[in-house]
Amino acid sequence: MKKNKIILTILAIIGLTVSCNEDSLELTNPNELSPDTFLQNQTQVQSAVNAVYSNLQTRGLYSRHMFFMMDNMAHENGGNPQLEADKRQYLDFSFDASHGAIGAYWESCYRGINKANFVVENSDKINAILPSVMSDDLKQKAIGEAKFLRALFYFLIVTRYGDAPLITTLPPDDGVGLPKNTSSEIYAQIIKDLQEAIPVLLAKGDEENGRATKGAAQALLGKVYLFLKQYDEALVQFNALSGYELEDNYFDNFMEETEHGVESIFEIEYDDDFGTSAQWNSDRSGQGPNEATFRGQEYGFNDWFNVFPSDDLLNEYEPNDIRFEQTFYINGDTFGPGGSLVVDHFPSNGGGNAGWSKYCNYYKDANEDQTSGINFKYLRYADVLLMMAECESMRTGGSQDVAIGYINQVRERAGLDDLATGMSKDQVFDALVHERKVELAGEQSRFNDIIRWGIATTELAGTNFQAGKHELLPIPQGEIDSNINISSADQNSGY
Amino acid sequence: MIKLKIVCIALLSLLGQNAFSQTSTITGMVSDAKGAPLPGATIIVSGSTNGTTTDFDGNYSLSNISPSDQLVFSYIGMTTQIVSVGNQTTINVNLQEDAEALDEVVVVGYGTQSRAEVTGAISTVGADELSALPVASADQALQGRAAGVTVLNSGSPGTAPVVRIRGLGTMNNNDPLYVIDGVIAGGLGDLNPNDIESINILKDASTTAIYGSLGSNGVVMVTTKKGRRSGKTTINVDAYTGIQFANQRFDVLNTEQYLAFANDAFGVVPTSPLSASRNDTDFQDALFRTGIMQKVDLGISGGGENSDFRFSAGYMDQEGAIIETGFERFSFRANSNFTVGKFNFGETMSVSFNKQNPERNLGARSLLEHAIKIPPYLPINNPDNLGGFQGPSSGLDGQDAENPIRVQTLGEHINKSAAIIGSLFGELEILKDLKFKSQVGLEYRNSNTNIFRPSYNDDSEGATHSSTFAAITKNSTLRKSITVTNSLNYATTFNDLHNLEVLILAEKQETIDEILNSNSQNPITNELNQVSNEQSFLQSQSFEYNRIGYLGRVNYNFDQKYIFAASLRRDASSRFGSNNRWGTFPSIAVGWNIAQESFLKDSAFNTLKLRGSWGITGNDRIGDYQYSATLLSDFFYPIGGSLATGTTPGGLANPDLKWEETTMKNIGLDFELFNGKLTGAVEYFNNSSDDLLMSRPLPGSLGINSGSVTENVGSVDTKGFEFNLGYNDYEGDFTWSANLNVGTSSNEVKSLGANESLSGGTFEAQDISRIEVGEPLFFFFGYETDGIYQTTAEVDAVLNQTPNDEGEFAVNPGDIRFVDQNIDGQINADDRVKIGNPYPDVTYGLNLDAKYKQLDINLFISGVAGVDVYNTNIYDLEGMPRLFNAGTNVLNRWTGPGTSNSVPRAGGSDQNFNSISDRFVEDGSYTRLKNITLGYTLDNTSFDQYFSKCRIYLSGQNLITLSDYSGLDPEIGNPLTNDGGNRQYELGIDRGNYPQPKSIILGVQLSF
Repeated sequence: MKKNKIILTILAIIGLTVSCNEDSLELTNPNELSPDTFLQNQTQVQSAVNAVYSNLQTRGLYSRHMFFMMDNMAHENGGNPQLEADKRQYLDFSFDASHGAIGAYWESCYRGINKANFVVENSDKINAILPSVMSDDLKQKAIGEAKFLRALFYFLIVTRYGDAPLITTLPPDDGVGLPKNTSSEIYAQIIKDLQEAIPVLLAKGDEENGRATKGAAQALLGKVYLFLKQYDEALVQFNALSGYELEDNYFDNFMEETEHGVESIFEIEYDDDFGTSAQWNSDRSGQGPNEATFRGQEYGFNDWFNVFPSDDLLNEYEPNDIRFEQTFYINGDTFGPGGSLVVDHFPSNGGGNAGWSKYCNYYKDANEDQTSGINFKYLRYADVLLMMAECESMRTGGSQDVAIGYINQVRERAGLDDLATGMSKDQVFDALVHERKVELAGEQSRFNDIIRWGIATTELAGTNFQAGKHELLPIPQGEIDSNINISSADQNSGY
Repeated sequence: MIKLKIVCIALLSLLGQNAFSQTSTITGMVSDAKGAPLPGATIIVSGSTNGTTTDFDGNYSLSNISPSDQLVFSYIGMTTQIVSVGNQTTINVNLQEDAEALDEVVVVGYGTQSRAEVTGAISTVGADELSALPVASADQALQGRAAGVTVLNSGSPGTAPVVRIRGLGTMNNNDPLYVIDGVIAGGLGDLNPNDIESINILKDASTTAIYGSLGSNGVVMVTTKKGRRSGKTTINVDAYTGIQFANQRFDVLNTEQYLAFANDAFGVVPTSPLSASRNDTDFQDALFRTGIMQKVDLGISGGGENSDFRFSAGYMDQEGAIIETGFERFSFRANSNFTVGKFNFGETMSVSFNKQNPERNLGARSLLEHAIKIPPYLPINNPDNLGGFQGPSSGLDGQDAENPIRVQTLGEHINKSAAIIGSLFGELEILKDLKFKSQVGLEYRNSNTNIFRPSYNDDSEGATHSSTFAAITKNSTLRKSITVTNSLNYATTFNDLHNLEVLILAEKQETIDEILNSNSQNPITNELNQVSNEQSFLQSQSFEYNRIGYLGRVNYNFDQKYIFAASLRRDASSRFGSNNRWGTFPSIAVGWNIAQESFLKDSAFNTLKLRGSWGITGNDRIGDYQYSATLLSDFFYPIGGSLATGTTPGGLANPDLKWEETTMKNIGLDFELFNGKLTGAVEYFNNSSDDLLMSRPLPGSLGINSGSVTENVGSVDTKGFEFNLGYNDYEGDFTWSANLNVGTSSNEVKSLGANESLSGGTFEAQDISRIEVGEPLFFFFGYETDGIYQTTAEVDAVLNQTPNDEGEFAVNPGDIRFVDQNIDGQINADDRVKIGNPYPDVTYGLNLDAKYKQLDINLFISGVAGVDVYNTNIYDLEGMPRLFNAGTNVLNRWTGPGTSNSVPRAGGSDQNFNSISDRFVEDGSYTRLKNITLGYTLDNTSFDQYFSKCRIYLSGQNLITLSDYSGLDPEIGNPLTNDGGNRQYELGIDRGNYPQPKSIILGVQLSF
């Protein structure tokens, strides 16, 4: 009997030491917050909105590939031998659906969209926050910022990929992909989001630098209408802009110290003082400190010098255009601290006769150190003036002279003579093609322009550009492989 | 009766002889093979009753011995030795362990088993084999030692190898479970191989299912050395010193060739002053060196009647074959056991301090890649440059490879860890045959990574590689893991025929990792190697992982003839959602010792055993908290002049997440003939893994930050044969043995749920490895090539190209010809096919031991066959995407029709270098002389006042490798991580990996 008791006692010990602790299996992640308890106050709502912005900084977008993709496809660049294959493919139009950065561009945008959806779809939750905790105006502004960014990301998608999934809800629990929508459905959503954002966003002077403003939403909406050739609607938006004017000095648009000036409407923000440790691994998520862009390092003639401004671009400038020396460096120019160094780098190994000055730090530094804090001007007033000129020229009943007036505002700053009034619509168009090419050189604008104008075949003569194919990028192979609702049959034409 | 008569007659005759012979007294010592004294050994005069036993120090004395006598020395577990006396007065004997007896007891999960009763698939690797190679971690020495175990070693000292038991069963974690003295451990990196008595590798369900949710990938059971009870205290000192080196090189262009190539191929004439220097630097030679290795181990062991102990201390220091790589370890261990009446107590405790200098790979590029690509005219050093190194300047040199010597030597990169691993157990015999045992296992490890990279500028003329600030990284992980195991064991025999053992067990494990990562920059000075507030990043994390399990096991055999074993384990893990927290893992096994049957009673068979097992095991290693949806708060954006923090959902929740299950089937046949001279086993296994935890890539358009969701959707079947054959001639002065083991493994993916395919292993922005139903895991996927287009006509015959406005085509003569699989005139993603399989079909090892008197020799050969390697070095050597230094093969590149059908034109179409193709796939089969050792044991008599044993040996590792592989080493070890993605996909991808060095060591083993 006594022995039995011992056995029973021991059995009990075995059972007790373990089974009573089953609670220990119920763990919560101590490193991360739970979505259920989030969006309870102003800081949390603002944080959810901030996350959307950070996707603009990914390597798939403005930190690395956006400028290569757009400037190379437009052949504003030529390539030096050290230009890596995946970036050279933009020059050669030899990329296919498995191109990593084309996938990163796609996902960078859609992750931004999903983050925006997290804010917009939780509007009810945000609106339920007590006004004493967060004012109703700020709630609406936060949701408006999310809508602006969602529109911007969809605009980046629709211009590069055409038809694509239009998702405005939280992702399905089962993670099953959604089919493509037409580009007109996407444009409709962009317009709707921007229209809803405009009344709730703050004016530039009232908002923190870096955030979407009312003016940014108006200018973007105008640009979207222009892309849709809805010139009158576009002009309504452009005309509603107030408080913007051209910088006296063109180069003030491209220096770190003069960011957010009078000409600036919306910028992609970088500030290398805020950390760069995630710079090499933030392809698509925007996670981690990646507050610098590789733009200067990649283009800089005294750094990696992967690309140089093409002769075609250099030759476009009129002789007295002061934008030339503010956009490029040629032999004999000075650079670096106090202009202490002399440029003698040309011709480059790849045959480049000049180097980029725009968006480079050589106005103050000898080297880029891989980390540039210079913001990209996604929208600036000179662009708006040229878009207004285009709308005015193109719209039914538009005045060519008024259009020329807008162009001349831009030319005057460049130290050029005014264009004479009395030009034909075609002549104004040619003037616009020229003016946008030089004013917005290296600003990721020209490729979109020549595509939407339908002149890419002639403008890109001598390259591998194929009409009917290269207007769009391929839908990334990863999307086709993982999305049961998108198959190879849905691939863009020619890929 | 007859025997008795013979003995009597013999005795009588001997007595008679003795009357006329001169007799003397013989003294001496009996020791084991390693020279440790054997107390209680029996010495008998052959054919007489005259005999004695050795004393506590192994000494004996026998009188009345005549020169014609023969002395019989015997000891349990040792081979009996017979020595003719002659005119000797001192006879010292070393008894060898009996090969048959050695195999008697096998360590299995939660206990031991007699070899005869084993029904599962277990391979045993002994201490001598583990310490034959100068490796830091015992698992590195397992390659080729056990059938079905494949080990991929890195040449980098201190880097853990990739160990696979019976191949691949999952696209998830394939690492085996490590158990050290009954305690679950993270690996063997902290353990001195010389402290290990044996490693038993458990391979089938009947042996691994008792580990339930941890058993799917097999179990590596490590038993450390213990003291011997009632034995003399012995001191062992093992030491070696040696060198290691890697003399393999890629043939790259010298300066003259490079400058000509730059101009011919790319029209580039470097304009830097250095390009005119005619300097010729061999960056590969500068990267490699002859490293010095040394190791000293001290072991003290002994025991009393009711206790035993062993203390050991070890120091090892290895310089790697690549500069600034190396590994250093101090280790201490104490094992002891005590018996007090019905109580048994014991402990194992080890402390180790590791320090590793790894190879530094920046931007996913290996040091070798830089060494190939950098212009050879550049000097390594330039005192005029900040940091003292020279690199290219894109503008002047037309390329931007990095100086690998600067990457590897500027500043420092040190990984340090301090670990305490131990266990404590108490066992009480409650009733006869019924024991209660309680064990507590402990693992405590502090790991630190310190990286310091000062500011530098590799070219004063406009450096492509420079930094104006020092970068400092300090990361630290603290792991605490406690495992408590309580068990009741009942083992009995009734009617002398029925042997029964029942085990009931409960186990709980709690593990927590606390991580602190920090880095910062310092633009002011290179003098301070400390993290500060400048450009700083800080992050702390903690991960908790808890597990509980219950196990019941019954082993029964009838007269060791008919064997039956069954077990059932229930496990619960915090890694799984509440819907699927518990899992059940059963196993059943049967065995038939045919040799015990009467019809084989007098045959040559000592053993003939047929055995089979079936069971289910699990794998829960997918990381913590995967089932929950959480928010991430590490998104940043500059707003209003300060850094704003962003927060967003990290991924989808999956409350149904559960473990992977592998159903294992095994059939084996063991045989032993001619008194253990010939041994062998044949084994067949068939595993099918289901509910594989797969990170399913989510459609990018859903925009989910994690990019994937973990689901139980995959299935993989793995099967193979294993074969062992050993011959052991243990009689006479000349003894030798040969052991061959061969293992095969092939796997096939059966299901991927809703996924068509998965891919990973990115190279130049494209995925090399793929997972697809009907194919083996991680097979290489890309284009098949068929030489080079020689003429435009050849291009036109295959491709339907549209010229651009200038009339230019994308693909031209001199470009690689990709096979247009679907013959649509286009080369696109649809033309990709399977181009290789990175897992070897066959892994084998052959060990040859021979011994003649004091001389011993060992040859150990291992190899793999039927394996492909994706050699990305070819991209650097022959790809010619743009100007870099390249392999000498580019001198034979295509320059016109008929000039080359293997090396394309320079700077040609993208597909020459940028697409994954079979051009980079090579046969990775190899046969390697892994070890050769020549040893000499000094004659005892000349030393016995100092040592009981002294053996010196000279050995060489990896001296000969037979392979067709063109890279530096066909054994592709631990992957260079490049994307933080699933490292499994890196299998068989050579990105300029650290080659395994050759080594030569001189060692000594002493016993006191």
